[in-house]
Amino acid sequence: MSKTIPPTCPEPATGRTYWRSLDQVSDTPEFREWLHREFPAGASELTDPVTRRHFVKIMSASFALAGVGLGLTGCRKPEEKVEPFGKQPEGYVHGVASYYATAMPTRRGAIPLVAKSHDGRPVKVEGNALHPDSNGGTDRFAQASLLNLYDPDRATKFVKGSSVTTAQAAQDFLAELSVKFTKNKGASLAFLVEPSNSPSRDRLAALVKGVMPSMGWFTHDPVDSGVHAAAASEFFGQAVTPTFRFDKADVIVSLDCDFLGSEEEVHNNIRRFSSGRRIEKPEDKLNRLYVAEGLMTLTGANADHRKRMPSSAVIKGASVIAATVGAGVGSAADLSGEDAKWFVECAKDLLANKGASLVVAGAGQPLAVHALAYAINAALGNIGKTIEFSAGASTGGTIQQLAKALDAGAVDTLVILGGNPGNTAPAELNWAAAQRKAKTVVRLSYFEQDETSAACDWQIPAAHYLESWGDARTTDGTLVPIQPLIAPLFGGMTEIEILARIAGSSVVGAYEIVRETFAGFVSGDVEGAWRKFLHDGFLAKSAAKTVSVSLKSSAVSAALSSAKATNGLEVVIRPDYSVDDGRFNNNGWMQELPDPITKFTWDNAVLVSRKTATDLGVANNDVVKITVNGRSVEGPIWVQPGQADGVLGVTLGYGRTKTGRVGTGTGFNAYTIRTSDSLHIATGAKVEKTGKTYPLSCTQEHWSMEGRAIIREANLEQFKEHPDFAKSMNLHEPPKPAGEQGVWPKPLYPNPLDAVKPSAHHQWGMSVDLNACVGCSACVIACQSENNIPIVGKDQVRRGREMQWLRLDRYYTTDKERFKPRAGAWYMPPRDEEQQYQSWIDEVQVVTQPMMCQHCESAPCESVCPVNATAHDNEGLNVMAYNRCVGTRYCSNNCPYKVRRFNFFDYNKRPIDQLYKGPFGKRKEDEWDLLKMAKNPEVTVRMRGVMEKCTFCLQRIESAKISAKVKAGAGTFDKIPTDSFTTACAQACPAGAIVFGNVADPNSKVSKLKAQSRDYSVLEFLLTKPRLTYLARVRNPNKAMPDYYEAPLSLQEYESKMGNPFESHGGGHEAGHEAAPAGHAAEKGAH
Amino acid sequence: MSAIFPKWTNQLPLMAIGGAILVGTAVIGGTWYYATPKYTRVGYTPIQPVGFSHNIHVSQLGLDCRYCHNAVEKSWFSNVPASSTCMNCHNQVLKDDPKLSLVRESAAANKSIPWVQIHKTPDYVYFNHSVHVTRGISCVECHGQINKMDEVGHAQSFSMTFCLDCHRNPAAKIRPVDKVTDLNWKWSDDPIVNSQKQADEGKKLVEHLKVESLQNCSTCHR
Repeated sequence: MSKTIPPTCPEPATGRTYWRSLDQVSDTPEFREWLHREFPAGASELTDPVTRRHFVKIMSASFALAGVGLGLTGCRKPEEKVEPFGKQPEGYVHGVASYYATAMPTRRGAIPLVAKSHDGRPVKVEGNALHPDSNGGTDRFAQASLLNLYDPDRATKFVKGSSVTTAQAAQDFLAELSVKFTKNKGASLAFLVEPSNSPSRDRLAALVKGVMPSMGWFTHDPVDSGVHAAAASEFFGQAVTPTFRFDKADVIVSLDCDFLGSEEEVHNNIRRFSSGRRIEKPEDKLNRLYVAEGLMTLTGANADHRKRMPSSAVIKGASVIAATVGAGVGSAADLSGEDAKWFVECAKDLLANKGASLVVAGAGQPLAVHALAYAINAALGNIGKTIEFSAGASTGGTIQQLAKALDAGAVDTLVILGGNPGNTAPAELNWAAAQRKAKTVVRLSYFEQDETSAACDWQIPAAHYLESWGDARTTDGTLVPIQPLIAPLFGGMTEIEILARIAGSSVVGAYEIVRETFAGFVSGDVEGAWRKFLHDGFLAKSAAKTVSVSLKSSAVSAALSSAKATNGLEVVIRPDYSVDDGRFNNNGWMQELPDPITKFTWDNAVLVSRKTATDLGVANNDVVKITVNGRSVEGPIWVQPGQADGVLGVTLGYGRTKTGRVGTGTGFNAYTIRTSDSLHIATGAKVEKTGKTYPLSCTQEHWSMEGRAIIREANLEQFKEHPDFAKSMNLHEPPKPAGEQGVWPKPLYPNPLDAVKPSAHHQWGMSVDLNACVGCSACVIACQSENNIPIVGKDQVRRGREMQWLRLDRYYTTDKERFKPRAGAWYMPPRDEEQQYQSWIDEVQVVTQPMMCQHCESAPCESVCPVNATAHDNEGLNVMAYNRCVGTRYCSNNCPYKVRRFNFFDYNKRPIDQLYKGPFGKRKEDEWDLLKMAKNPEVTVRMRGVMEKCTFCLQRIESAKISAKVKAGAGTFDKIPTDSFTTACAQACPAGAIVFGNVADPNSKVSKLKAQSRDYSVLEFLLTKPRLTYLARVRNPNKAMPDYYEAPLSLQEYESKMGNPFESHGGGHEAGHEAAPAGHAAEKGAH
Repeated sequence: MSAIFPKWTNQLPLMAIGGAILVGTAVIGGTWYYATPKYTRVGYTPIQPVGFSHNIHVSQLGLDCRYCHNAVEKSWFSNVPASSTCMNCHNQVLKDDPKLSLVRESAAANKSIPWVQIHKTPDYVYFNHSVHVTRGISCVECHGQINKMDEVGHAQSFSMTFCLDCHRNPAAKIRPVDKVTDLNWKWSDDPIVNSQKQADEGKKLVEHLKVESLQNCSTCHR
């Protein structure tokens, strides 16, 4: 760079001379210098080449440095603080989870649990396998109860009238109540409580009764399963509670009893029932289930023989059975023709299994049906064998009696402990108004705002069971502790604390109360026993003694004479599989859990049969108005395959008028048509069309398997004949081409495992026993809880964007007469919306199958990922590296099992109603603060734009490996002890249908299961070699039955499409004879 | 028609390409330069609220790492000790030293000392201390000669390559399990013998402990 000097203006040689100044005229050296410099002193120093370059250099260097400096501070991770304790708490190690034995109280029992705490917050609950009456399984509600703890709509404040007050003020008020009502012996004081069998509560209730003998004690539960105990007490003439031992029964008859679905103690029933369904060899004994029911329930879905009939007509069937078995009651003439034959044959089967059979009546059935059931059981000698009785307890008054007392003005102070009577009380009681007739209403409430809260004077926030001390008895009578894992998040109280204060007891702390109750159960070293009690989670040998009973036939016949005649359309009302009676209405996991049968999320519907829908002239999604007993409700129609004609099925718990942010606007409220005299079955209903439609979010729209061998079934007879029937249904491999070298059949996708298998310590695999699985969906919620799976909302579910890693596929199957496979070369399955008009859905069998990532060895998803975000590890897992994923979704497209889930939005960061607002949709601070506490810190919380799927609970595998290696220390690490841990779904499964483990270890449970002849893989002809295999289902129909089927309907469908699997070459390994290539193997039907 | 677009617009594609190249280069260069852990972390020595010197406590006084970081063999997280741990000694030694006033207050009031975190793996990496230190990987491999540091600084780049280098060949770093917390320990003082022995003995150790060369995504990412 050279110096650029502006050229001087050439002076004209002649002519005028112009000058700018006298200096110029005089042409002084100063002027020349000035002119040369152009700028005032100092400025042209910059034109000096060296100086200017130097300047720029320095400036750029300093800018660059500033950039580096700024850049460094900008790029550096934000400064984070490590804040250790000032004083180290004893026994606490940061990052290591701790486990506490506790229990979740249910209506009439408790589920023994082991709750996991991470850094002081409960993150997962599991069943307590040590408990004498548990296998470590839980139900879906126990799994979902964790989310209730972190519900942002929980009651957080003590409220008096409409103003917030303090805990102290509320406690002072309770003390005032105590003084006031001790003086007048409790006159005009009433308690409304939920059923419970907490010994502490019983003790305190007795204490209150002691000082206030005239107080009223009323119990209310909208779906009172206490009817079993009440019926037994009536017919056996003493206060007893029955326990149905499905495990001891070879023949089970359910009279509209949904004991696998919506009844109480479902997890225990499933465990017992499944133990009779689990078979290893064809010779093993398999129980048989007959179900007569109105709605299609989970129990009906698992039946060997199912009779669809209106729920109100089930009594006739019961009567036929009773007459046939010689129970001394009932009449064989109540039914005729095929219907009668069904029950007569059923009864004959019962007679053939005296003492090893069981007849159960549904909680929704009238007392007369229970009377018949007990009479039948007594006649069969089942009492004390398949039904055990233990001493029962009295329950107190009913809500109807309380309403009467309120209307009469006899109640001055009403104390409501739990529950939500404003929503759940029978409609004719007009509860909100009745409640207001008490001068003072004190309420222990779990939610800030609900239907009951408006008419309360004092609202005390209730503590969750994971944050309070308590006790309970499981249904076998064993005493279990309820232990807190965290201090009450919002300072909530428990009912025993309130009762203790009202009783004026000097011991008001929940811990002290429970401890005092416990001391009454043990003798000797109370402290030692207490510690063991808390450690084990139960008091050994505290189970209730069985009592022997005898049937009072006079009571039975009295109940029978009270049976009512029915006519017209009937409405069957039952608790919902997802939200129960409404208590899980604000729980996102439960709202988004597809109903095990209908597969709806976020809604309930009016379920009808195809024929009823046709008669009424309605179709799916049409909103109808049901009027019964002068009360009406509007809801959308859904045609339910297999439902009885003339029955309208509705579920409770939706359509809440006042609930939290999750439950608002979901479904319709069936409580509005529910009255005391028709709590479960209301007859004489009218249905009107409203002309409106309502969209439902269903996760599985197609009902038929279309003859494919996805779920494989056989009858027990067939299983005996063809033990490897499941493999016979494999498609045949294409013949080996002439020039082909090496292994044949050759997988479509590379198998990266072959090379690394020998070097790995373990090979993970899973086996799902379709015979044991009843489809209860506890695994889905367990997975959601363990793996931080977000909810996406109704709108997203409708778009097929649900996120659950594990789904339960439910298919309806029909017989070969009605299943019309391809006639010619081209077959078009019916469109989803046309299924509801097809006659095959009238009589169906139901099959369910848990479906999650199959962890294929030759995984189709891996080959198509452009960024290698999904790959195999050397222990056989198909793993996702979220940080690599760029969201092309190719993997999901190429997955034949459709088990991959994509985060279309940041479902964690955004509230579900503001997903489309992008960055403007923000969760409220308090909401996220609470919700994130439920997250498992061992699993990544995924963000928008990444694919995810079942990992076989990788975090559990890794921590098991790590702890085994740490234990090995300087010694040799060989492998994790066999079956020492399992996945979340397997752990939660009450049936034990899911088994996970090391398939490289021949002694592991999973290896043994996979060696069984029923073992098969789904879509095996793709040669993806799934690590998850299924054990085919075996049905056990009775040949004498009028609805006997030679082969399960799914097998009949398969047969009419593909031909008889047992006649052809059987098994996929006799390859080479077939002309059809694997992809077109459907042609096999020609053989 | 020609008046719709002025003539300079003919240059637009070229300008766009040129601009894109410039911006692209800047982004790539910037990411390359700044986003590498080496540049963002190594040597990072923030000022801590209490001037704790590992050099004095370990090299001069001979404390074992696990006296303070006692959870390192149990948890994924190597704990920063509670102030009460400091006070076990400092209620006798230097008990009135003004430099320790924060520790004393913290232990008395059960209030945290806000130490600045230096070593941190990203949230999507599930690093576990216990399985490394109980199986022959010394603190020094990742944290450097922390026993000689008066102020703790970031010694190694915690890039994925750094982890993988060792995971690909654990024999190059493994040492007898009882020497894990001895940060000065070597197979031999002679560097040539040392590296020879590391290779030989390391291989033997890997075989004896059955240490796998874990390079699965699932080893660290869940």
